[in-house]
Amino acid sequence: MAELTDLLPTGASAPDAVLSDGSRLSDLRGRPVILAFAPDEWNPTHAYQSEIFARLSQEFGAGAAFVDTATEDWHALDCRGTLAAQFGVCGQQALFLLDEHGIVRWQTVVGPGQQLRAGQVLAALQALHPAPANGASGEWGSGLSRRTFVTATLAAAALLLLPGCSPGADDKSAPNAQAAARGSGQVAVTLTINGKTHRLQLDPRVALLDALREELHLTGTKKGCDHGQCGACTVHLDGQSALSCLTLAVMAQGKRITTIEGLASGEELHPLQAAFLKHDAFQCGYCTPGQLMAASALLQDPHTPAGSAVELREALSGNLCRCAAYPNIIAAIQEVQRA
Amino acid sequence: MHPFQYQRAESAEQAVAAVAPNPAATFIAGGTSHVDLMKEDVHRPALLVDVSALPLREISAFEGGLRIGAGVSNTAAAYHADVQRRYPAVSEALLAGASMQIRNMATMAGNPLQRTRCPYFRDPTQACNKRQPGSGCAAIGGYNHVHALFGASAACIATHPSDLAVALSALDARVQTLGPRGPRTIAFPELHRLPGDTPHLDTVLAHGELITSIDLLAFTGRSHYLKVRERASYAYALVSCAVALEMSGGKLQRVRVALGGVAHKPWRLPAVEAMLAEQPPSEKLFRAAAQAAFADARPLKHNAYKVPMGRDLLVRALLETSGLRPLQGPAGTAFAASVGGVAGQLAAPR
Ligand SMILES: Cc1cc2nc3c(=O)[nH]c(=O)nc-3n(C[C@H](O)[C@H](O)[C@H](O)COP(=O)(O)OP(=O)(O)OC[C@H]3O[C@@H](n4cnc5c(N)ncnc54)[C@H](O)[C@@H]3O)c2cc1C
Ligand code: SF4
Ligand code: FES
Ligand code: FES
Repeated sequence: MAELTDLLPTGASAPDAVLSDGSRLSDLRGRPVILAFAPDEWNPTHAYQSEIFARLSQEFGAGAAFVDTATEDWHALDCRGTLAAQFGVCGQQALFLLDEHGIVRWQTVVGPGQQLRAGQVLAALQALHPAPANGASGEWGSGLSRRTFVTATLAAAALLLLPGCSPGADDKSAPNAQAAARGSGQVAVTLTINGKTHRLQLDPRVALLDALREELHLTGTKKGCDHGQCGACTVHLDGQSALSCLTLAVMAQGKRITTIEGLASGEELHPLQAAFLKHDAFQCGYCTPGQLMAASALLQDPHTPAGSAVELREALSGNLCRCAAYPNIIAAIQEVQRA
Repeated sequence: MHPFQYQRAESAEQAVAAVAPNPAATFIAGGTSHVDLMKEDVHRPALLVDVSALPLREISAFEGGLRIGAGVSNTAAAYHADVQRRYPAVSEALLAGASMQIRNMATMAGNPLQRTRCPYFRDPTQACNKRQPGSGCAAIGGYNHVHALFGASAACIATHPSDLAVALSALDARVQTLGPRGPRTIAFPELHRLPGDTPHLDTVLAHGELITSIDLLAFTGRSHYLKVRERASYAYALVSCAVALEMSGGKLQRVRVALGGVAHKPWRLPAVEAMLAEQPPSEKLFRAAAQAAFADARPLKHNAYKVPMGRDLLVRALLETSGLRPLQGPAGTAFAASVGGVAGQLAAPR
């Protein structure tokens, strides 16, 4: 089983820590900081890497001069160290962007064997993109300073240079030759999710889970183990529960995909969602979307067991809950079953 | 993950034609075994031929038995009324395996073709002759508690993890295939191989040979599957046992027994089967059979626990199948198949 340490979320205050150069993280308040958990060869001062920085900063109108600034704020860290554990990214390649106040403004994690595509980084950055300058304050929109933003851009660019990361995807600026050299290439993928049709260009290696979360920003579906062992990524395919981490997005074409975002009807909660609230059927909530999708599929299934707790526990044994909210989960489902 | 090209096959012939000439091509169905191993970089296909949309998703009557299409999901097969009623061992093996989500995705051909759960096979930094022929076997001198008691070789001591395969072996199911040289029929007990010095080959299937159906032959006797695991649910078998038997006039007629979790393939016990035939069933007889069954077991450093566990399991499976002891749950469900855990927590009819 993959380790399930909590990833430090966006908006959280970063824990204090000693960095590789001996300085303390708290000493760096007042300026944006990039924490890069990665192998050694990841170094933004390398010429070939700064070229990509330049291209991305141009794309965002940041100007190449910022490269120098950004590299000052760059801290490469061992992805197996204690700091990585504090940030919840043990053994993974990850980037954190902290703002001037030490708050996590942006983070992204690349799991082992996974790859990040330029398209999704650009999309994330679009979301962070500062609104046009508003007056003389020098501050940019969405509460992010221009400098923080530019730093994030460069961080993202650097991330693309990680070993195993592909610059392909829907990134218009990535040279096609490079994508082709990596062999996979992109394919057109049409997915029907929660009744809506989405047309994507994807590497065939992309799992449905990653397409949902990274390409379509449907982040309700969670990644726990990424290997079929925890149920956090459960969605419905043609009305039946399935694991999106073991489903290739290309293979989900032509299927009716329902995610947790599509479970409620408008503002009206699905009866299971209401029952989970009523019975306090979660603690951290990480497993909850998967529990709800598994349980809702089970209730629609003509083979659903009679509803004794032992039958439900057996039927839902594919959904693990680290917080062990099981008794409340079963109680919530039983209430809906009886209704 | 290694880069690959993806292709969806429109017909069985097209799928075979795409995979057969290309040594780096593979089929993919539910993907629950293959995608997992691709993520681990254990499987590195360059061409993935998707057979999940092929018209192989029917269960139909066939020569007094049932023909189950290769693409039928594990869930659909397990809950099919005729399978559950006439071949409960199949439903029990399926429903005691994996999870609801995985059973919904997994197919009847993909399940018996899943790869071993030997942890060294799944870790590309370890020596493993099955993953990388000639690299050695880290399990032989390593932690081998899930490994084989029977039929292992100096090259590989892995076991086959499928529950379904054990039930299909005991039932002498037939596998229909379409290969580059046309169709053929394989008796299920002949499908999987012993490791010998070519452990990278799990089965006798040729490269590019597609399973089109699993056929359950006409059978009016009883069948049953029992599985021991490390936790109540959602775990592979440590040891499992499938029994198919016919009774008449208070005597056992033909008895077929297969063990799971003890060899590179479902382990049939022909000597035990011969010993039980034409005998009145009794616990004493079954104990003697279990003694004989494990007489030539070759335990490794960490798996000797499987010998007494397997003996007791075999006795219990024979007692329950012959009706001398009640099932621990309704026939054809996970409750009947479980040892410990959920077993005995529901009323047990039959
Ligand atoms: C967390 C977890 C727990 C599990 N627990 C259990 C368990 O307790 N018991 C158990 O038995 N199993 C268990 N499994 C395994 C699961 O049952 C198998 O992964 C599944 O049955 C494989 O079927 P599939 O259709 O997904 O195969 P795929 O992954 O698509 O394919 C598997 C192999 O079969 C080949 N293949 C597929 N279809 C054909 C065809 N028609 N002809 C020729 N070759 C074909 C593929 O090329 C591939 O090599 C578990 C799996 C996971 C992830
Ligand atoms: S037992 Fe077989 S599968 Fe396991 S490491 Fe040895 S060769 Fe590989
Ligand atoms: S992420 Fe754990 S099962 Fe998919
Ligand atoms: S994992 Fe925290 S509520 Fe289930």
